[in-house]
Formats: sequence, C-alpha cells, structure tokens
Amino acid sequence: MASMGTPAVVMDNGTGLTKLGFAGNDSPSFIFPTAIATSTLGGKSTKSSASNSSSFLASKRGLEDLDFFIGDEALSAANGSNYSLSYPVKHGQIENWDHMERFWENSIFKYLRCEPEDHYFLMTEPPLNPPENRESTAEIMFESFNCAGLYIAVQAVLALAASWTSSKANRTLTGTVIDSGDGVTHVIPVAEGYVIGGAIKNIPLAGRDITLFIQSILRDRGEVDTTLQTAEKIKQQFCYVCPDIVKEFKKFDQYPEEKFAQYIVEYTDKNKTNTVDVGYERFLAPEIFFNPEIASSDYLTPLPTVVDQVIQASPIDVRKNLYKNIVLSGGSTMFTSFGKRLQRDLKGLVDERIQLSERLTGNKSSGVKVEVISHKKQRNAVWFGGSLLAQTPEFKSYCYTKQDYDEYGPSIVRNFSLFSVPS
Amino acid sequence: MLQIESSNLLLEKTIRECLSTEIESLKGIQRTFTDFDFTTYQVSNSTAKHLVVVSIYVKCWSDLVNYGVEEYLEAKYAKFNKVLQKIETEAGYDFSFVLDLSVAQKEDVEFKEELVSELANLKRNSIAAPFEKAFSRYDELAETYANSNVYSEEVKQELENESILTINYRGLDESIYIKPSFDRVTVIFSTIFKDETDKIFGRVFLQEFVDARRRTVQTAPQVLYSHIEPPLDIRNVIQGRADDNKGYVTFVLFPRHLVKGDRRQNCISHIQFFRNYFHYHIKCAKAYMHSRMRFRVKEFLKVLNRAKPENVDDEGKLIENRKTASGRRFEVGRG
Repeated sequence: MASMGTPAVVMDNGTGLTKLGFAGNDSPSFIFPTAIATSTLGGKSTKSSASNSSSFLASKRGLEDLDFFIGDEALSAANGSNYSLSYPVKHGQIENWDHMERFWENSIFKYLRCEPEDHYFLMTEPPLNPPENRESTAEIMFESFNCAGLYIAVQAVLALAASWTSSKANRTLTGTVIDSGDGVTHVIPVAEGYVIGGAIKNIPLAGRDITLFIQSILRDRGEVDTTLQTAEKIKQQFCYVCPDIVKEFKKFDQYPEEKFAQYIVEYTDKNKTNTVDVGYERFLAPEIFFNPEIASSDYLTPLPTVVDQVIQASPIDVRKNLYKNIVLSGGSTMFTSFGKRLQRDLKGLVDERIQLSERLTGNKSSGVKVEVISHKKQRNAVWFGGSLLAQTPEFKSYCYTKQDYDEYGPSIVRNFSLFSVPS
Repeated sequence: MLQIESSNLLLEKTIRECLSTEIESLKGIQRTFTDFDFTTYQVSNSTAKHLVVVSIYVKCWSDLVNYGVEEYLEAKYAKFNKVLQKIETEAGYDFSFVLDLSVAQKEDVEFKEELVSELANLKRNSIAAPFEKAFSRYDELAETYANSNVYSEEVKQELENESILTINYRGLDESIYIKPSFDRVTVIFSTIFKDETDKIFGRVFLQEFVDARRRTVQTAPQVLYSHIEPPLDIRNVIQGRADDNKGYVTFVLFPRHLVKGDRRQNCISHIQFFRNYFHYHIKCAKAYMHSRMRFRVKEFLKVLNRAKPENVDDEGKLIENRKTASGRRFEVGRG
C-alpha cells in the first residue's frame, strides 16, 4: 500500500489539552485546548431542514456544520456572541461524539494537513475506558475518515514507554504511573502492559489546586498582582520540592537573598510592569502533594501513602516490580526533586513495614527496592511514548487496518495486541 | 473551515518560532512532518544553530523536474537570497533550502512575514511550476492564433497535438493532466475512491458544483465529471490501470481565470488543492451524516421508551409506572 512511507499520526486528546503530532518527533507539533466553538446562529435552520423532506436538502441546508473552530481559535471565537464553547472530553472520556468527530476533522485537515487515508493513527484512551467508547472511536476513524490503520493505546502504558528514555529505566511495561495533569492526579499500576483496574486511585489535587494555593498565599500577603496567570507563572518558574519544610523555612530566614525571589509581571501594555515577591510558596505549593492538609480540608492522604496503597492493592507477584519502576507523567510532576522526595517518603513507608514484619516473624527480608524515575519528557509523556512506539517498524503490524475493520466490524478494536518489549 | 489553506500551518509555526527566538537560546530542532499527497518536510539545524535546513519531499518530484520546478523555485525565492540559499539536497528529500537565522533575524518585520508565508507555501509553489508552464504556453498559443481561423482543420489538428503535462501526484493511479490551448486550459484530475460510499458522496458533491455554476456563480470554471471512462482529451496519455473506483474531474479554465497576476496565482493555489478539498468535503459530509444519525437514534430511543406496554397486575389493574422521556422511572417507596 502507498501509505507505508508516511509517519504515523499520534493524537492524545486529554480533558484539558490535545496533543497532536507525527511519530518520530520528540515533541508534539500542536498543543491546544480540547475545545470546540460551534456556531449558534445556524442551529435553527438545521432543525427546520431536518424536518423537511430530504430531497434538495443540500440546497436548503447551510454550512453550519463547517462553521466551527477548535483549540485556541475556539477560545477566542467564543468571546463573540455567535459561537458557544464546549469541551467534548470530560474526565478523560469522550462525551460528545458529534463535537469530537468535528474536532478530529479539523485537527487532521487543518492542523496536521494530512490525508487520513495515507496515515496510520495512534490514539490514546484513559484507563478503564469502556470498550463501547473504543468502538465509537474506531467507527469514526474508519468510516468517516477511512484512516489506513488505527491503534488505541492506554495513556498509562504510553507513559511507561516514555520513561525508557531515562538512563535509569529498564525497558519494561510493568510499573506504577503517577499522572498529574491540571484537573486530577491518577496513580495507575500497570503489569506487563495491562492496567490493574481495581487498584487505580485518584487524588483530587493537581496543577490547578497548586495554582489556586499560590494565589491564596499571594492574596494573604497583599501583593499588587494576584491574578491566576501570575500564580501560574510563579508555579512554573520558581516552585520546587524541598526535603524538609522546617529546615527549608530556616534556610529562607538565614539566606533571604538567595531564597526569596521576585517575579516581574509584564502586561500587554509595555510600559506597565509590576513586581511580585515570591516567598515561601516556592516550596510550600508543591508540598500539598505530600502534606495535603496545608491546602485542603477534606482530602488528607499524602501522595506517597496513596502510591503505597495502590501497590499493596495489586497482585502480590508484581508488587516488587511496581515499587521498582514508578514513572512520572504530566506537567504537575515537573517540580525539581519531586521524584527524589517521593522516592524517599515511599521508601520510608516500605522500610517501616518491612521492619515490622521482620520483628513479628523473625525472618530476614531481602528488602524492596523503591525507585522513582524522572525524565526530560515528563510534560508530554503520553504523547512522547506514543511517538516512540509509533515510529518503530513493527508498529503497523499491531494496528488494525481498514480492511480488518470492514471484515470484522467495530468490535475488532476491543482488543489490541501489546507491543512486545525490546530486550 | 470551508477551504483548505495552501500554506502549511506547522511549517509556518516552526519557521516563525525560529525567527523570533534568540539564536543562543535556540534548541536543536529536528522535525519531520507531512502535508497532503505524501509530501514530507524536514526542518533541522544539525550543522549549526543558526543554519536551519528546510527540506521537502514531493512524491511527483520527477514529473515536476521535467517542468522546471527547480528553476521556478529558485526564481520564486530569489528575493530572499540574502538569507535563504539552495543547498545540496538532503538524502531522502527532493529540495533543500538553508535559512541563515543570524542574518534573517536582523531584517524588518515585513520581510520576515513574507519569508514565513512564502516558505509555508513551499509545497504549493513546487506544484505550481507545471501550472505556470502550461499557463505561459497558453499565452503563447493565444498570441499565435489570435488572428487565424481557429476552426480550420489544420489548426484544430495542431491544437489536438499540443502536449499534455502530466503530474502523477499520488503515484501512477492518481494524476493531474493539464492541456493548454489557445482559448482555455483544461485541467483534469483523476482520483481513486477507497470506499464504496465515498464514490456516491463524491458524485453528489460534484453535482453540486455543476448546479452551483448554473444557479449563482456563473464565472466559475466549467466542471465535468466522468466515472471510469477517461475524458477524450487525455485518453492516449493515461497511465495506470483502468479501475472501477477511478473518477475523472475536468476543469475548463477560461481566459478570465488566467489573467496574469494575483488572479492567476489564486487560480493555481485553488486548483492544485482540489483533490484534498474534494476528499475533505466527502469526509465532512459523512461526519454530518453521522451526527444526524446519532440525533435520530436518540429520538427513536425516546419513542421506544415511551411505547413500552404498561404493567398490569394480577387483577388487571394498572400499576402506576410512569417513565420520563429517557426511560427512567419514578420509584416510590422503594430503596
């Protein structure tokens, strides 16, 4: 087939952001909000033509179904009165298929500029996605777009694959994935490429909560600029994870010049700038993962404890491997020494339990190795993992092609064979 | 989105980023991406940070070379020769430019913008070469035959023998044929439908073209569609096998479309993306159909839910069992 030479398209539609690009690149070509702005003017005329007889439909029907924007353009179009904004993906799962179909249509033809008939596609899905959703995705990809081939991968598995770039990583598909985006943090155990569904845990603390926490500190201190954007920038530029809060407070008092920082807020009006002091929030903000009580009153379990619970809930024969390969993914895990702190705290929990059991049984334990793997591609780990896998020569043999689909129908995508792990 | 733009958004974005970031803070770039019809671009700065190499691969390059694409591109980008030079082509690609950022960044905004937009149109400009050639041949012919009797047999014969420019833009099966004449230029696309339903959508869609011309846009070029049978003009140059899934779309461009300057350029931009535009709209039509089907299914489900027989107890009395439209029940006194 003629489509063999073209790179595969990797699409990761998250709740907040969509990552689009071609396999083989090290970063997505486009990152924009998973938002679609549809015209509200045409709504009426579509309905009236639907009730009319179907002949001459084309001449009566307008072009409302082509009148929409996606991504950043959608956000700006929605400022006007003629468009309404909606987010077709909710909690990682696609809710509105009409909008999603058009969203894909535009991402393929306008942004990626490729003929779907010539390309293989790698799409992602959240863990515990119902198989019906997979089928609907396949229906759209094969029947609307006639795409050459399709592979649907679980995001957590791709995040594991992305960690192979790290020198520490051993190339396995077994590990615990900590995926922290803007809205929610998931802890997902994966054994040999299969997600252990029963053991997944969610933490309702993620990037947005950190930003809000910074904002509240800025407000308490009465800074001149306490907008969400400023808080966001401070989070990205200044925050880090400290080993010990008490010691860190002392350090701030001893060496204020080194520790306290200043952030200069720039406005669209070039002449106006404001200076915001950045203080303890530098290390306090990411601390909410480890001591959630400082920011939230209803969620109190620290991240290392959750990870420990998740691994303890998994089958006993994979637990050691899950401790050995804890992989970070998503923007909110990008703080300096986030991995180190997590590893230390988790190690503490595990060692405590081992000591207890040694004392109770009298047997010597061989010990459990805890390792958290950080790597450079954490921010778009899922997309990057997809890009890595989709550029391998075997990728196309794992995909289902249009012919397969026509032969067996949508239920074919309920199962995909896993990537064999190169040793 | 009604039209497919002729410029590549991603190429535009990449070049713009390169021009606006400081050279020192520029990271290594190595990007490969594609455009319609198996076109591939590569943007990289592997040799030196400030030297960005832009390469393009076009499937039908060997055809394009016959029609002078290299000279055409060089002439087209000559105005940027301070910053943009043709270099030896990278392996696996057909044409390479090197962009010297250290010079380009010092230029004014207008120059940069023009550079970005022209580079983003690299594919469009490559395919434009044969069109330019055919159109200039049309200019010649129009001049030659301006005063002669074009209905005479000899002239007819000569025009008949006018060579046809062929671009196999998607391999041997899908081609563009361009035939210049003294009063028109005929452009014929052959395209293949991979899917049975696409064929039908395609036919309806092209019928719209014909209707629209009749109704409102009388200045549009004439469009003819034929299925399986190639049009007479190109019957003797057809390559590739005859195929049930093959369709031919003929455009007849008249002198008013070929006015030199912007209009001619515009015409080239639009006509060469016709296949993509065509297939894009088939897909949009299908997406629209799907959304209508989902809507219908939802309506039918509502009807079905309402139409369930009412429950009757042993004595033949009705059990109150009302439902909402979505089929949920008001359960009283349970749970």
